[in-house]
Amino acid sequence: MRIIDVHTHPVFCNLGRTPAELRRVIAYGRRFDIVHMVVLGDVLVFGATPNAEQLRLINNDSARVARLFPDYFSAFVYLNPLLGERATLAEAERCAALPGFRGIKLEIANNAAHPCMRHVAKAARVCRLPVLQHSWSITNIGNGQHQSDPSTTALFARRNPDVTVIMAHLTGIGFRGVLEAKGLPNLYVDTSGGFPEEGLIEYAAEHLGADHVLYGSDLPIREHSVTIGRILGADLPAADRQRMLFGNTARLLQLNLP
Amino acid sequence: MLIDSNAHLGPWPFTPVPDRSGPALAAHLAASGVRRALVSHFGAVFLPDPMPANRRLFAAVRATPGLLPVPILNPALPTWREQLAECRAAAPLRAVKLLPNYHHYSLRAGHLEDFMAALAAARLRLILNVRLEDERHKYFALRIKGVPVPQLAHFLRRFPAHHVLFTGIYKGEVEQLAPAHTNFSAEIAFCEVTNVLEIMLKKFPARRLLLGTCTPLLSTRGEVDKLRRAHIPARAKELIGSGNARRFFRL
Repeated sequence: MRIIDVHTHPVFCNLGRTPAELRRVIAYGRRFDIVHMVVLGDVLVFGATPNAEQLRLINNDSARVARLFPDYFSAFVYLNPLLGERATLAEAERCAALPGFRGIKLEIANNAAHPCMRHVAKAARVCRLPVLQHSWSITNIGNGQHQSDPSTTALFARRNPDVTVIMAHLTGIGFRGVLEAKGLPNLYVDTSGGFPEEGLIEYAAEHLGADHVLYGSDLPIREHSVTIGRILGADLPAADRQRMLFGNTARLLQLNLP
Repeated sequence: MLIDSNAHLGPWPFTPVPDRSGPALAAHLAASGVRRALVSHFGAVFLPDPMPANRRLFAAVRATPGLLPVPILNPALPTWREQLAECRAAAPLRAVKLLPNYHHYSLRAGHLEDFMAALAAARLRLILNVRLEDERHKYFALRIKGVPVPQLAHFLRRFPAHHVLFTGIYKGEVEQLAPAHTNFSAEIAFCEVTNVLEIMLKKFPARRLLLGTCTPLLSTRGEVDKLRRAHIPARAKELIGSGNARRFFRL
């Protein structure tokens, strides 16, 4: 079964800095039938709110990965919308013009309900890119100023129905997060992050539709055998599992993979 | 044949996970290649007296030879001696499990001296559960954290003749304990990072790691695949998957 991983960080701290290290990542992925990975950047290397120059450095790393191994890696441009409309648009357009960039990545500069998110929506429209927003229930972890609770990510999707939004981290958003995402056709969830808590995959398929669930690992933080196994072991039709592991992301990112 | 050292029966109050019968749990585990499992009952986690749940556990596994009961006891209760005796009379036991964070006592508590002596006299192993859930995802009103590493270390120093199995322990916690302590083994359900077993085996011996799935709170297939698809020597897989459990629990 072919698999696309929509949520990876092959460049992470000191990892993934050389072609040899990236080849090891590819070899590791292929062991698990992963035929393509989406590179989201080393998003916390400069802290929660990187400046424009720091964003360029992170995105240049992602561009390098996608350029070196274009068949295996796509990239998302990492943005900090707190820098304002001009900076956000400039960096999005710069990267969108480079080969291999297929989306926008947001981390914890601000929560997804912040007014500055209008800059992201504009960049998404101008560059015709989906937006992947780090999301986690703030019920226990707090920090609602920076963390995007699933309710705020859903609000962003609701405010911008013409923008495709990926709410990251199914385990982090939990059962409540699935319900927050329900009924929004432009909102998808990825399965990356957290331990493989039982029942969430089936719950997401039931409430969002299997076509709105995308496989992601959060490499190198999580273990591929586990993140894939939780889907292969889910009590769902084989066709639904295949959609989650490959078809949905291939369609969403318009990947023409051999 | 795989042996799961950390599985459960009974209802879990906070997430919609299956409350299976003994045979249904055995069939579920078998679908992922697990033929034997050390099983405890969730009812003993939250009730003030663990014995009603332990009795349900014994009844549930009686006709299911692949499920080996591990009663949960609370040595802070004045009745633990008679409860231990009742458990030993109910079924052949290999181990008992403690959940100090859920049962609100410290591993530094004085009453543990007598309890550990009783386990030694009965030739029973101790499973010490560090956590059942990721602290970030608990029910909002359940403010229970994992057992702190300094308490685990203190316990290991205090009872050097006992070899303890920690379930629900993080990889980082294993790494903190490993340099100074050899009298513990670790179950791997909550150990995770890319290539986790390959990385752990560089610093921690395979003969002290045991497969565990934390079923039904975590995905059985996902946890089994962590071992089955690991890039580690076949001998290490055999030890982690069943050999160590066979030796530790005298199966």
